Amino acid sequence: MNDPAPHAARFHAGLGAGLALALALAWAWLAAATAGGTEARERKDALAAAHALAAKVEAAGATEASAAGAVAAWQKAQRAGTVARVVLVDGARLAASTDPADAGETAAPRRLRLEEKALFDRAKRLRGIAEENAQGVQKTSEEDASRREDGSWQVAVPIRRAGAVVGAADVERPAAPPAASGGSGPGPGGRALAALLALALPLAAFAPARRLRGPWAPAAVAVALFAIGFGTFVAWASRATGGAGDGVSALSASAVAGLLALGVVGSGIAERGLRALSKNRVAYAYTLPAMVGMVVLVFFPFFYGIVLSFTGQTIFNVNEPLSDLWVGFTHYKDILGDLALVKRVEDGSLALNYGNFYWTLIFTVVWTVTNVAIGVSVGLVLALALNVKGLALRPVYRVLLILPWAMPNYITALIWKGMFHRQFGVVNYTLMLLGFEPISWFDGPFTSFLTALATNGWLSFPFMMVVSLGALQSIPADLYEAARVDGATRWQQFRSITLPSLKPALVPAIILSVVWTFNMFNIIFLVTAGEPGGATEILITQAYKYAFQQYRYGYAAAYSTVIFALLLTYGIFQNRVTRATEGI
Amino acid sequence: MVLVTLYPLLWVITISFSGGQSLALAALPPQPTKLDLVRAVIPWPQTLSAENYVSVFRDQPFARWLLNSVAISAATTVLGVFLACTAAYAFSRFRFPGRRTGMMSFLVSQMFPGTLMLIPLYIIIVQWLGLGSSRVGLVLVYATTAIPFCVWMLKGYFDTIPKELEEAAVMEGAGPARIFWTVVLPLARPAIAITALFSFMTAWNEFILAATFMDKEEMYTAPVGLRFFVGGFSQSWGYFAAGSVVVSIPVVFLFLYLQKYLVSGLTAGSVKG
Repeated sequence: MNDPAPHAARFHAGLGAGLALALALAWAWLAAATAGGTEARERKDALAAAHALAAKVEAAGATEASAAGAVAAWQKAQRAGTVARVVLVDGARLAASTDPADAGETAAPRRLRLEEKALFDRAKRLRGIAEENAQGVQKTSEEDASRREDGSWQVAVPIRRAGAVVGAADVERPAAPPAASGGSGPGPGGRALAALLALALPLAAFAPARRLRGPWAPAAVAVALFAIGFGTFVAWASRATGGAGDGVSALSASAVAGLLALGVVGSGIAERGLRALSKNRVAYAYTLPAMVGMVVLVFFPFFYGIVLSFTGQTIFNVNEPLSDLWVGFTHYKDILGDLALVKRVEDGSLALNYGNFYWTLIFTVVWTVTNVAIGVSVGLVLALALNVKGLALRPVYRVLLILPWAMPNYITALIWKGMFHRQFGVVNYTLMLLGFEPISWFDGPFTSFLTALATNGWLSFPFMMVVSLGALQSIPADLYEAARVDGATRWQQFRSITLPSLKPALVPAIILSVVWTFNMFNIIFLVTAGEPGGATEILITQAYKYAFQQYRYGYAAAYSTVIFALLLTYGIFQNRVTRATEGI
Repeated sequence: MVLVTLYPLLWVITISFSGGQSLALAALPPQPTKLDLVRAVIPWPQTLSAENYVSVFRDQPFARWLLNSVAISAATTVLGVFLACTAAYAFSRFRFPGRRTGMMSFLVSQMFPGTLMLIPLYIIIVQWLGLGSSRVGLVLVYATTAIPFCVWMLKGYFDTIPKELEEAAVMEGAGPARIFWTVVLPLARPAIAITALFSFMTAWNEFILAATFMDKEEMYTAPVGLRFFVGGFSQSWGYFAAGSVVVSIPVVFLFLYLQKYLVSGLTAGSVKG
């Protein structure tokens, strides 16, 4: 049992540290949240005002004549100092303005002056965006909002007449007068409360720390007390900021952070961690460079990819924060819930829907199974052929037969693609030689599949051959002798001697080959490129297409995560199977 | 069977020496006879010429692409092997909390291909770090994908170095750094060499990451450049063939030398479990 006095001291130190951390975080977040909250609110209000103006102008017919009346009616409800202008794009006209400077000679309606080009540009831009949105799928925001240094907001929204954008409602809304609420953090009352908490908690914890046993109990008590105190603080703070949603959520986050910190320190995890760290400094120092690299460039992208899969990020909205683009499980529902394997074509018949996830999955599985089967059988046959005793030039054959594996696989993919060329490819020449008609290989899904199969089969059998050969050569010849003496036929010898000896080598090779083939990006991408029409895509090339040809990053990330989940399942399953077979 | 195996290689060599850009081995008359077809299938060029080899270097930026590949692969190898050495040594010699997790995480990350993480990697490297179309970016990505494999190979080798040597050095008063640099590393030279060669080869042969990250033509690596020759915008099979032969020769020889280590490492490791 720990010496009570140092334990209590450490405990209080931990408590104080955790509390200070949480309060500091809360302070900072609250300040940012109130400022941000204010900013967000101001933006919203400015845009609402602009929309209201646009609605009034549209209701009045969106013409120059009617604009002034609409604007005047609107102006009354606005904050003092708000300036509104109605801009019409055609003819660069200022239809109405509440700017006090636009009076007399420069009163609206009139043509826009050169200095007012910004107004015209904004209106024109909004019209362009509206037209693009009407045509395309991607929706860009049809609002323009910018905040000036002094806190005022300049916003613009489109004005429509008969469905088409004819101009913009341009509103300048001054900053809110300095309010008594919010400010930058808790006032003196809050600070006093914080000080009280800081004093009270250690005092309150002191008694339990003496009486309760184990590292967890005092920590739990402290956490509970802290939660009560901090909860009060949060309630006060959110009331003070007028219930700004951002503020409350930020405070909750900081509350959680504070509780975690307390828990970690109070329960001794931090202390044990630090001790382990210093005891094994050398080891950690040595692994640090590699681990940093791995974390930054392997693990972080992996988790970021998963986060990305829950957003609707595309190339058009990369600059927006992810929280704005959150779509939850939409992508997953689209991918996994799309059971439309067949669809109706124009002539009414049914056709396979190649973009469907399940089709691609089935195709990938078929692709993997056939490739591995071909690789294993061809490799095994060749290994048996090469294993014949006294084969002349065996090393030569071995080297030559490994060449397909040795060549960079993107080169062989392109070579085979060239050989399958409809007009000039040697495969069709050979077909013609044998009296057949040349085939348009990439026009039909099955023939396209065959091209990829041939290519991958060609470059994957050497691996199987080498593995089989190695295993075969380790089988002692006496076994065969004994079997022959006992009268076993060649087939029986093969089944009872050769195959079992091959298993320990072939099984891991097959497992590896399955994973490699499942993800064989280069062959599919370079040989068939998914032709025709996406029929020969495997999962991983499909994900690539979504990301880099359709630029739908969020959707592609979801697709990749699904692939990852499949591989993980396979990995777990395979682990169990090999563990089971190893026992044999 | 050997003929079928070798045929594509002979085909590409033939085209490289054919002096033209066509992917047909021989021009066919409109009504080809059987003999014409046979001629068109035999991998021997109609006109023997090394013109493609010369012009791919002279008229195309191929030399630059080749240099890019060399630079990137070399940098990847140096960085990857160095990082892997220290980590493998720690995993092999020290026992510390997180050792097992660390090794498992390396192993697990091997199972998942780079293309799965291509999207976030792209966002991180190109948009956040601004390293798109730069050699540094690609080297970073390649090095981190090479590390797990190197760590496993090196750790296996370090495990076979007897600890008595290090204990003797400790008794003579050497610190851990000295032991690492002067005792262990020289002994591990063969394993380091092999690991380095594997890393080099992997980086040299890598296509898709390079194609995604390198936008500017002068930054292409050799694989991307070769694909560019026959990609659909151009059909310069002669250049492609000549370039392929040049790119493949070192790799093929390297591979033939290394393949026995690869197979034994892969299967032995998996069987041991």
